[in-house]
Amino acid sequence: MSPIDPRLHEALDAERDPGELPTDLREAYARLMSAAELLQTTPRLSVATRIMTEIRQLPAPVHWDGPMRRLVRWFGRPRAVTVRLRPVWTLGLAVGLAAMLLLSSQQDSGPTPTASEGIANFIGHFPGAKSVEVVGSFNNWSRGTLHLNDDDHDGIWHAAAILPAGAHEYMFVVDGERWVPDPLAGRYVDDGFGAGQENSLVFVRPAAALP
Amino acid sequence: MVNEDADVVARVLAGDGEAFGILIRRYEPGLLRFATRMLGNPDAAADAVAESLVRAYRHLAQCRDPSRLRSWLYRITGNRCRSHLARRHMDDVPLSEAPPAALAEASDAWEILVRSEQVALVERALAALPAEKREAFVLKHVEGMSYEEMAAVTGARIPTLKMRVHRAREALLEALEEVVR
Repeated sequence: MSPIDPRLHEALDAERDPGELPTDLREAYARLMSAAELLQTTPRLSVATRIMTEIRQLPAPVHWDGPMRRLVRWFGRPRAVTVRLRPVWTLGLAVGLAAMLLLSSQQDSGPTPTASEGIANFIGHFPGAKSVEVVGSFNNWSRGTLHLNDDDHDGIWHAAAILPAGAHEYMFVVDGERWVPDPLAGRYVDDGFGAGQENSLVFVRPAAALP
Repeated sequence: MVNEDADVVARVLAGDGEAFGILIRRYEPGLLRFATRMLGNPDAAADAVAESLVRAYRHLAQCRDPSRLRSWLYRITGNRCRSHLARRHMDDVPLSEAPPAALAEASDAWEILVRSEQVALVERALAALPAEKREAFVLKHVEGMSYEEMAAVTGARIPTLKMRVHRAREALLEALEEVVR
């Protein structure tokens, strides 16, 4: 195999007008382009029916984007709320709220994992990021379900979630578009699509096994 | 087309599984052509494309950028072709001896014969290339991709891909010239 004139590569990469090539290179150009044109012949077969038959047997790859997600979005959107109360009601409301806070402080707050679930903590350092979320096998790789928070704006984002015990693959999505593996994950697994990309792996211990 | 892909993906993920048929119709011909050139065998290519598209359907929620669906589908199919080549059985038809793929419309028998010989000649020259160079040449000159899109499909860096395409061109040109002599 002998290297060919760089001008021929430039013409084949559409970086040079092939009409400017000397005759011998123009012939080589035409030969390669004819070969490519012959290879562009599309095989006259179809596997569409076979694929559709197969995927009809499979569960739908549904995004979590049904009425529940719309409801969550509705609640998550900031809205102006005006409440007009008589002073005496305001006082009563304040006393009621104080009593509720006092009671709730004496109890465990928030959902607790069952024996077959555990708590996964996701922590990432993304200075300057506007949003960070986690997508993974536990939420069907759906965006918008698990957001990390950086309340003190120090670039360290955190979220905790109750997940079924076991191994889960996940990725961070930064600013809604950049998918990055968790540099602190410790374990990674090939994402199965070639190109050498890896998902992070988290192991969730069941709450029942924790001391 | 790019935004249309994202719309169709959204429909499928919202539960309209039949909409996946739109994506099959859109990309099946190119994927079949790509897999046939990679494997040199239309039946094996059909299997590779069917397996790849079913896999794409099952993992559609993991498609990180639906507007680049074409690259994602070619990446899955290319991966499947590489797996197939790696486990190719000894009794398979070698690439260089495989019959030419189905031909485009040809108006008469003589034209079919001539074109068939030409296609077989080029396919044999292509089949003699190592898989990585063959893939690079096909993506560039048969599927008409930019080097950026090829990088998204193969995971290789652009300078590496340019080198593979250059080497493939040189080898093909040499092979074709030897046949003509």
